[in-house]
Amino acid sequence: MEQETPILENVEQELAIVEQQQRQQLAEEVEQSANVLQFMDSLDAYLTLIHSLSSTLRQGWLDLASARHSMGVSRVNTVLLDHKFHPASTSLLVTQDEEKVDSMEPHFTLCKWASSGNEKLLLGETQSDQDKLQPQPRRRGGSQLYEEKTSHENKASHQVDQVQRERCKSLSVFGTLVSPKLRAAQLSFETALETLVEIANMRSTMLCAFDKVHKMQGDSKG
Amino acid sequence: MAGRAQIPTSNSALIAMIADEDTVTGFLMAGVGNVDLRRKTNYLIVDSKTTVKAIEDAFKEFTTKDDIAIILISQYVANMIRFLVDSYNKPVPAILEIPSKDHPYDPAHDSVLSRVKYLFAAESVASGRY
Repeated sequence: MEQETPILENVEQELAIVEQQQRQQLAEEVEQSANVLQFMDSLDAYLTLIHSLSSTLRQGWLDLASARHSMGVSRVNTVLLDHKFHPASTSLLVTQDEEKVDSMEPHFTLCKWASSGNEKLLLGETQSDQDKLQPQPRRRGGSQLYEEKTSHENKASHQVDQVQRERCKSLSVFGTLVSPKLRAAQLSFETALETLVEIANMRSTMLCAFDKVHKMQGDSKG
Repeated sequence: MAGRAQIPTSNSALIAMIADEDTVTGFLMAGVGNVDLRRKTNYLIVDSKTTVKAIEDAFKEFTTKDDIAIILISQYVANMIRFLVDSYNKPVPAILEIPSKDHPYDPAHDSVLSRVKYLFAAESVASGRY
């Protein structure tokens, strides 16, 4: 009887080890499945976005061709492009998730029509959004609330005006009066840019998920 | 939402383009055109007279610049320098192959999809089975 106790204990220990190993294996399989799912989802989204981009670009090329037809080939031409120093009005902000330091998964954000004046507006707006998150003292009258609302609306309309100015400035190389089709082409290509940024983000998600799947496959073989 | 740190590029990173005239014109109208103090642009217009060497040089230049985050390249142009495009594997700048007017997008030639397609190959499926 006394000899059976240590034997039983050994068996129990071995069972516990086997159980732990099984749990670990299950967790790895679940993680692997999650990675594969993420990869497949991002691949599907990538292809869908490319399809959407193709359709948007087709519209843009059609509008551009119509504008060229109505304004004349010599007026819608890359020869007219400005080769003097000027920064891009539309740019990107590239960030990385701080939690995913091991995997280089960059995130792209499009900053449309951000001229030097507009940037200040955007920064000012960000600051006022942060102020709204902090607790505000109770207001006594409705007039202060109304003033703040009006000020916010004024800022928004000012921003819209700025964007319109930047759009017109961009088209000004083709002349003062441009065809509505050229403006339509501009909007199509702006939409295409937004889609492209989404594609870039989906691409980095897909490649990150692929690397994880590839790594786990390598570990399981090894 | 998790915090995001800025990757070391300039605050305003650019979108570079290597594409046909209409595509470049369209995106320039959308405001992505940049001309620096040395009058260097962030785009190359590819036409029938553009040599493969010029395309290669532009690609190499854009991929080594710190202030470029995305490179748009028409897929038919990428096919001319396919070896260069496929051997590029950095996350930034991201290389995006786009369709052109006369050459629709072909997923079979996309460098990103080529990189990941091996997961769907019969050999890899068989070898992954327990």
